[in-house]
Amino acid sequence: MSLRVISAGVQATLQGRPRAGARRLAAPMAGPADALSMALANRLVGEAPHTTAIEITLGGFEAETMAALAIGLGGAEGAVWLDDRPAPLHRTLHLGAGARLRIDPPKFGVRTYLAIAGGFAADEVFGSPSTYIPAGWGGHKGRALQAGDVLDRAEPAAFDETIETPLTQRPVFGAAFALRACPSAETSLLTAAARAALFGAAFTVSRRTDRMGVRLDGARLDLETDGRMKSGAVYPGVIQCPEDGAPIALLCDAQTTGGYPRIASVARGDRHLLGQLRAGASVRFLLRTREEALADLRGKAAYLGRWLPDFRL
Amino acid sequence: MTAQRPSFVHLAEDAIGVKVADAAAARRLAARLTETSPALEPTQGLDSVFVQFDPARTDEATVTAAIEAALSDADRSPEEKAQPPITVRVRYGGEDGPDLADICARLGMSEDEFVRRHTARAHLVELVGFMPGFAYMSGLDARLDAARLKTPRARVPAGSIGISAGYTGAYALASPGGWPLVGRAVEPLFDASSASPLVLSAGRRVRFAPA
Repeated sequence: MSLRVISAGVQATLQGRPRAGARRLAAPMAGPADALSMALANRLVGEAPHTTAIEITLGGFEAETMAALAIGLGGAEGAVWLDDRPAPLHRTLHLGAGARLRIDPPKFGVRTYLAIAGGFAADEVFGSPSTYIPAGWGGHKGRALQAGDVLDRAEPAAFDETIETPLTQRPVFGAAFALRACPSAETSLLTAAARAALFGAAFTVSRRTDRMGVRLDGARLDLETDGRMKSGAVYPGVIQCPEDGAPIALLCDAQTTGGYPRIASVARGDRHLLGQLRAGASVRFLLRTREEALADLRGKAAYLGRWLPDFRL
Repeated sequence: MTAQRPSFVHLAEDAIGVKVADAAAARRLAARLTETSPALEPTQGLDSVFVQFDPARTDEATVTAAIEAALSDADRSPEEKAQPPITVRVRYGGEDGPDLADICARLGMSEDEFVRRHTARAHLVELVGFMPGFAYMSGLDARLDAARLKTPRARVPAGSIGISAGYTGAYALASPGGWPLVGRAVEPLFDASSASPLVLSAGRRVRFAPA
């Protein structure tokens, strides 16, 4: 026993390694919506980037420790309270048994990650502990955490170091995002005006946003054709254009195939930011060639690798 | 057999694939690629196969070479038709198929006639997609036609069978869904504890039988 949930907030789930190897079942990958923030939280407690942690959505999370525990917090910055005293993100916290931890809603960003030394125990389904709620797979009983849930540690782990994430490695989320993106398979179906809007105008993140996808309001994107195509592969980061012309950027719980034109793909190096897009935030897509995106990826990976040697974007 | 170079399609800087003639060709290619390059997990579409890769571990040239090799093998591999169809027993109509009465009324057909036509021939799972475990099957009798529901159901029970636009769909897992439902399989279509959890996997031939 490690932690008892007092309040789970809007949605809190256990997330770890994505569910690779099950696409023939049309199983989404799941895993953290912001893998970088989870890796940073895990680093504070000496854990590997994908060690199972709690993904907290828009704060409102409260829990009590059932044993002495080292924890690390990363991602969206809600105020953190430890027995009603302020506590920092980005630094290892050493909690005794019976300590109360509360995370308030963040002002910017969406998801905060709570990692513990030893990692959380979770149900493995198709080789992954990550929760995928629609199918009831993984995590804690295949569902979002609820008040009263008691979570176990995967492995006993004494961790007595206190680590702080360097300031230069802490992601900062605001009300506006710029995401690098490449053209995709059906980009050529966009009208010239729609293409210019996609890679020029600012979009607003809609309220219809979850771990499956982020809907974007703003310029209506028109297609040259009726947009009908045969269902084909989609991945997290792909931007689809449904008939209403309001694009959808797919996230970690994305389906494996879709029938809407794929008009762009957020660059691999920037996909972790999709997990922090909150309703009302402004988003711009910066057009990159594939070669530019790969060069950006190498540069960013090298930079992050100084602090997170095992992390892969 | 021509050694014509396939035209590759980019989804992203880390995802590439090919268009093929039809779903059967896509299934053959995906199956072959899974055998030859287990690390490359293909995603089969209705007329395409795509692969996503980690540019830190491999590069596009390696991926396209693997796809090309699998493509020429797949062209020579046998058709799927030899496999005997699996029988899926279905309770048609009533609570299990809440849209059957409406569909039959619109088609001017009795429910018995619908069931007779739906069970008369083998269907083929063209694709598992859209949502986890959803089997998309060709082979529907041309007389059996129904449009998608205007408002999708928030929850369709596991095992539900629907028809739409010339296809039969099976929901192996409970999920939201917009297909009009004609029945429900008696036996589970999904077994999470099995190495092959899907009863209706891509390429499977299926015969429905009234329960």
